[in-house]
Amino acid sequence: MAAFTQLTRQPGCLRSLMKPQSIIQSQLSRRSVSTAYSARPEPVPLPANLPAQFLRQLPERLRPREPKKIKIIAPPPSACKKCPDPLAAVRDAQLAVLDPTGERRALFDYRRSERSAKVGDILRVTFKNGDPFNGVCLSIKLDGIDTSFLLRNELTKVGVEMSIKAFSPNVESVEIVKRTEKRKRRARLFYMRKPKHDMRSVENIVTQYLRQKSALTGQRSSGKKR
Amino acid sequence: MIQLKSMLNCIDNSGAAVVECVNVLKKKRAATVGDRIVIVVQKQRSFGSDPSGNSGIANKVRRGDIRHAVVVRVKKEMQRPDGSLVKFDDNACVLVNKSGDPIGTRMNGVVATELRGRQWSKILSLAPMHV
Repeated sequence: MAAFTQLTRQPGCLRSLMKPQSIIQSQLSRRSVSTAYSARPEPVPLPANLPAQFLRQLPERLRPREPKKIKIIAPPPSACKKCPDPLAAVRDAQLAVLDPTGERRALFDYRRSERSAKVGDILRVTFKNGDPFNGVCLSIKLDGIDTSFLLRNELTKVGVEMSIKAFSPNVESVEIVKRTEKRKRRARLFYMRKPKHDMRSVENIVTQYLRQKSALTGQRSSGKKR
Repeated sequence: MIQLKSMLNCIDNSGAAVVECVNVLKKKRAATVGDRIVIVVQKQRSFGSDPSGNSGIANKVRRGDIRHAVVVRVKKEMQRPDGSLVKFDDNACVLVNKSGDPIGTRMNGVVATELRGRQWSKILSLAPMHV
């Protein structure tokens, strides 16, 4: 069938090519003459209550249709309201893991707790691997889980400074060996690095403290002495 | 942060007292603890001053010698894996030969524990103390 129509179309097309000139010309001449204005016809309104079976004959855009239903999704619950301070929540969660008793927190929160370590105190830190480190505390950096303190000591006549994270799992214990006699008027005692103010070695004070402690508790202190 | 022209203390008994860094090996940045450097001996220990004990032991290096050394202490703070920082008040090194064995037989002074991770356990065992 398709082949047949193609065959018939071909000669028809040829025929139209052969004859058209006169027709096209006549059409052009006719168009150029007709200059009278005719108003655009008014669109015929769709007859009301058209039977449903005729609607299929109309183009899609003319068919009466119901307004589209949009599914409205409720906004998700506000994260802001659920957790007003997420950073504090994370910090508390971390502290709950690393410092469940809150003991270490109290030891370094010098703004709130009276009995905390202060700058100028001599501290003794014992690490998980057994190494101790003693030194005078130059600064305490309160920063949530990142809270750290800076100890300075002199080992074999060389000044050594160590900044230790207070809540590090590597830190087994932190002891206050000796409190400062007078409250320091600075938050950071970096002037103690200068030779004039340097405390030099605190090892003698620490060994004395350890001896007293072992005498009181009646047992040898753990960890090697320095 | 040890780089060209840095002056370091030498803390072994090789005879050097103060040395100057002339090159950092295997690194394009400044050297830190455990890095190998090339040094020139600038000051040597006076072995004639101590007649009793040390007079027999001659200095193994002299002023102007070019040697290799391992940095054992730095002023620049080093960060440990747990976030803690360690810094010393001076820069110090230990002279080693080409194969990496220390030239001196004794060391005086504390060294950093970072040497262990860098295959310098021999130096660490010679040191009287490490932090």
